[in-house]
Amino acid sequence: MAVIENNVGAYPVSPHANRGGLKAGQNRIGLLLLLPAAIAFAAVILYPFLSALGLSLFEYTVEMMEPRFIGFENFVKIASDPDVWAAFWTTAIYVVLTTTGTLVAGLGWALIMNQPFTGRAVLRSLSLLPWVLPSTVSAFIWGWIFNSRYGVLNAFLMELGLIDYPQAWLSTPEGAMLAVVLTKIWLSIPLFMSFFLAGLQNLDKEQIDAARVDGAGNWAVLRDHILPHLRPVLMIVVVLGVIGNLQQFDTIYALTGGGPVRATTVLSVEVYRRAFEQWDIGFASAVGVLWVAALLPPAFLYLRMLVKGN
Amino acid sequence: MNTFTRLIGTAAVALALGSGVAKAADLSFMSFTYAEEANKAIVQGVLDNFQKTEKLTVEPLGFAWGDMQKNIFLRARSKTLPDVAQLSERWLPTFASLDNLVDLNTVYGKDKLQAAFAPDALAMGNINGKQLALPLLSGSIGMVANKEVLAKAGINDVPKTVDDFKKALISVRDKVPNSVPYSMATKNNGSILIDFMVWNWVHGGRIIDDAGKVVVDSQQSRDALGFMVGLLKDRLAAPEIDRPDSRRLLAQGASAFYLDAPQTRTFLRDFSGKGQAFDANVLPMPTPVLKAGDKSVSVQWGHLLVQFAAGGKAKADDPADKFLTYIISDKVQTDLPLKMSALPVTKSARAAVAHDAYLKNWSAATGDARRNEVGIWSNAADLTNIIGEEVQGALLGQKSADDAIKSMQARLTTSMEKAKKSE
Repeated sequence: MAVIENNVGAYPVSPHANRGGLKAGQNRIGLLLLLPAAIAFAAVILYPFLSALGLSLFEYTVEMMEPRFIGFENFVKIASDPDVWAAFWTTAIYVVLTTTGTLVAGLGWALIMNQPFTGRAVLRSLSLLPWVLPSTVSAFIWGWIFNSRYGVLNAFLMELGLIDYPQAWLSTPEGAMLAVVLTKIWLSIPLFMSFFLAGLQNLDKEQIDAARVDGAGNWAVLRDHILPHLRPVLMIVVVLGVIGNLQQFDTIYALTGGGPVRATTVLSVEVYRRAFEQWDIGFASAVGVLWVAALLPPAFLYLRMLVKGN
Repeated sequence: MNTFTRLIGTAAVALALGSGVAKAADLSFMSFTYAEEANKAIVQGVLDNFQKTEKLTVEPLGFAWGDMQKNIFLRARSKTLPDVAQLSERWLPTFASLDNLVDLNTVYGKDKLQAAFAPDALAMGNINGKQLALPLLSGSIGMVANKEVLAKAGINDVPKTVDDFKKALISVRDKVPNSVPYSMATKNNGSILIDFMVWNWVHGGRIIDDAGKVVVDSQQSRDALGFMVGLLKDRLAAPEIDRPDSRRLLAQGASAFYLDAPQTRTFLRDFSGKGQAFDANVLPMPTPVLKAGDKSVSVQWGHLLVQFAAGGKAKADDPADKFLTYIISDKVQTDLPLKMSALPVTKSARAAVAHDAYLKNWSAATGDARRNEVGIWSNAADLTNIIGEEVQGALLGQKSADDAIKSMQARLTTSMEKAKKSE
């Protein structure tokens, strides 16, 4: 290797060439390659966000042809609007239940899929099905399961003799919340499982065998070996889960429309209803800005983990 | 020419061709009827005939009924409004302030319109003296029954009073297994509003008076809501029912009564799978009254057509106005409304279809329809949400009827502070 390097040094170099120019050229190509993504980001994310940020300072209803600047009045109105605070609370419940549920179910399913058994490959592939299905299709499937008149759940429970009449699951606040949470958990299990499965593939089997020889049971192996090994994955999955669940709209809107009354009106649904049911774009934008603010801490955590190489 | 320049050139040609295609039609028509499977072919037939007659092409833009307002709102903001759009009569006050909306009196002349249209139909499109819409179809929202289900339940006469109605519902519940005797709307604020408004009127209540004062906090309104809650408790109505669910239940013989517009016959033909053979089961009936001798109530209903043009200015020979002229001609008005089971809107077409038994029965049963007392306000969407949420809260047992009415009064009063009325 040293010989080659010495030979390279002996080659004549053009008097026009300079290292700075080569580096600058590389940088230019790098920027050029970045341009399409940057344009897409600016057009699809940055511009709408800045527009919403601007509109949050205006009164802009369906009756107005032009928006009217009102400063922070929309935010003052939000502070005294119990419906918006209720949407924050509902969002918090939804995010905690969904993230925790997906974490437990995803990890459990990954542990099962990590065991050697016949048909494992097929089952692993089938496990990805909820991920492949469009989320609104999944919402309609779950809507059918929970439907009070012809739902599978009622038919099953009545067959078992556990209920006498069909129950209107989606018409109670608890039932509707359970339905939207279960639907999202079902949709998210494949993604979480894939993360955990990737983490489990790197687990040192000899370490587990040694622990078992020392008398560790399943719980001890999970607590003392598997979970510590998966800690970085767990962190990423929790943060991604929280971000994803904070953004959730389509399944909730398709399944319950934010109801009954306002039982499943999370922030995304609240923004939609203010904008497209009450036609108040200014107020909806202000709620949207607060929604983005709620997304910032987990997003910051995630970026920090990425930068630190976790 | 290098690759980059060629790429730019290709993109420019594609864009030019694309915009050429987008502008190929002479006018665009946004319609919710066009998006309904049961009615799409009927609307397409009108568009095809218009093209043959006037040699003008129409680009149909179909959006579901529930998405129409949102799409018009977004298109207004992005300045991509269609030339003509179909509206429900209750949406017009919401869009009345759009500056692209054409006052059709300036295009056709007020006298000509008054001479051509039935006054009740024309009034639906008039706001503060401006004719911001022309009627397309008209009628009323009243009660419909399924004769076959009534027969199964041993009901020979349609119930006339609320007490009779309740007895009939109990018979249906007990004699027709797995049925929803009355498919009352318990889901979707827009649908719940109609059922509450009708039963509120039946009990002698009002939501908002003519001067814009909220008057729902009354014993009559409490009784109306209490009546609706009772129906649900007694399993005479069911949760999770929206208007489309009601239509399907009635069409499948799983419900005896529900509230709808005359158009229901077309939906029932489709949803029953029996086509016109199902007509024999469709029975328009007067909404039951609180006590014998009271006047039965129904809600005014109709579809409107609005025109959008730059600055709200248009001429009678514009393609969009030729389309409006065509669609209100006798040729269309004696055909389209009948196919859609609704009343025509012009005087001549109404006279021509006066023999139609179904429409005659419908008019006789529902009588003089009252104007939607919420839909006439500019903040109708907000009012609808408030009423829907409060009624649903009571129906699902989250609050008492008394609390729901009190809360409705307070919330509606706040909302009405900035409201404008269409007269």
